[in-house]
Amino acid sequence: MRSGRPEPHVLAGAYVMDALDDADRARVERHLIRCEACAREVAGLRETTARLAAARAAAPPAALKDRTLHVVGGTRQLPPRLPVPAPRRLAGVRLAFCQTAPPALPAPPAPHARTVRQHRARRPAVPARAAALLTASSAAVLAAVLAVVLVVTAGPAARRPATALPGGGTADAVAAIVTARDATMLTGRVATGGRAMIVMSGRRHALVFTAAGLRRLPSSRCYELWVMGPDGDRAAGRLPAARHGMTGPVIAAGLRAGDQLGLSVEPGRGAGHPTGRMLLVLAL
Amino acid sequence: MASVRITGGRASPASGPTARVCPDAELAELMSRVARGDCAAFDAVYDRLAAPVFGVVCSVVRDRCQSEEVTQEVMVEVWRSASRFDPGRGSAMAWVTTIAHRRAVDRVRSEQRSANRELRAATFSIAYDDVVETTLAHLDRERVRQCLASLTELQRESVLLAYYGGYTYAEVAQMLGVAPGTVSTRMRDGLIRLRDRLELDQ
Repeated sequence: MRSGRPEPHVLAGAYVMDALDDADRARVERHLIRCEACAREVAGLRETTARLAAARAAAPPAALKDRTLHVVGGTRQLPPRLPVPAPRRLAGVRLAFCQTAPPALPAPPAPHARTVRQHRARRPAVPARAAALLTASSAAVLAAVLAVVLVVTAGPAARRPATALPGGGTADAVAAIVTARDATMLTGRVATGGRAMIVMSGRRHALVFTAAGLRRLPSSRCYELWVMGPDGDRAAGRLPAARHGMTGPVIAAGLRAGDQLGLSVEPGRGAGHPTGRMLLVLAL
Repeated sequence: MASVRITGGRASPASGPTARVCPDAELAELMSRVARGDCAAFDAVYDRLAAPVFGVVCSVVRDRCQSEEVTQEVMVEVWRSASRFDPGRGSAMAWVTTIAHRRAVDRVRSEQRSANRELRAATFSIAYDDVVETTLAHLDRERVRQCLASLTELQRESVLLAYYGGYTYAEVAQMLGVAPGTVSTRMRDGLIRLRDRLELDQ
């Protein structure tokens, strides 16, 4: 935890009032993924802010309705999401994957440069059977992602009390996304070499980013992940240094419809806005 | 309050205290029809939600032209992602006003990178009075006002500046001359107290 910053659960009020900067917002969203009590509190406080909004109700000009209906007439709607059951306990899941995902598993075969493959895995009810029921390619991606988690958590980071990962999340938060029932896998090739593997949960508005075989950078530069949306770009975090050729996991939270994920090389300890060219762009 | 005209000359069913006129269940049912592409349902949802959306967007953005733009974006987003609304996770009103507030704040913060923001801060004392006055205007608002009045001064100012002003807690702390950690805590316990008071009269 960064020094001098309030704990995420204290920020629930500021969060529902959009009174956080991007870094704090991402931090709270990572926290909400794994803290049911805070997620409940946030949902309740949103009802309160809705009352604050209703108390300011003011009729917009009538012409606005005509304009809006006109735009709506030419706007395709998003498809529904498949129903998602309640989250499961995660400890058993990690154990199950320990048994089924050897850390040395190779990455799946490379697609054509700048193309993206998307797999949607049906999630089994019993965690221990998870890997067995996935399609072969999905299982390979998932195994690779989990391999990174295992490699990283087996390193010095895991001996810290909160099992904080170098990418800023925790092993539990990563597992919560990777094992979400609507988890979707994306892979893409990084322009300067290496492969990115992403597991995304639309339901949790978050993804886990990992990469393998990225070109090494001088210590003065770093890979930085970006969430690029209709309202601009925001930093999703620097990639930690690779361990055994595997990089990540980094959690990007607070995803919204229409967002894209980008990866660039930035100077020093990362930039507020992307300055390098995008080495990878994935539509989420 | 001005009434909303509708194309075709029908009278608008609601443009004022929308949350109270329309029960959550009815709005949720309308949202599920919108998710199936029902334009008439969207028309009705617009009538119920455009006023709170426009109100909250105006309070943050202030510029009327931009507020109209943001309101339109929000209502189109409601249409586009209606299938993502889940009544099990909260009311439609909360879902939509959350989108609206976030969009409004995104708008002012992207502009804030210009000198604009300093002007807003400089004229803030006027804006704050204005917030309180307009909140007083209506019966439904009266209840919210009473609940706001039950907060401590620091809680109330923190909530009003963050929600109606669109400022970050760090900015609010700077304005009030209080430590940021204190402000973030007051925002949370202020909202919790507000929530508890408002629930009392449900």
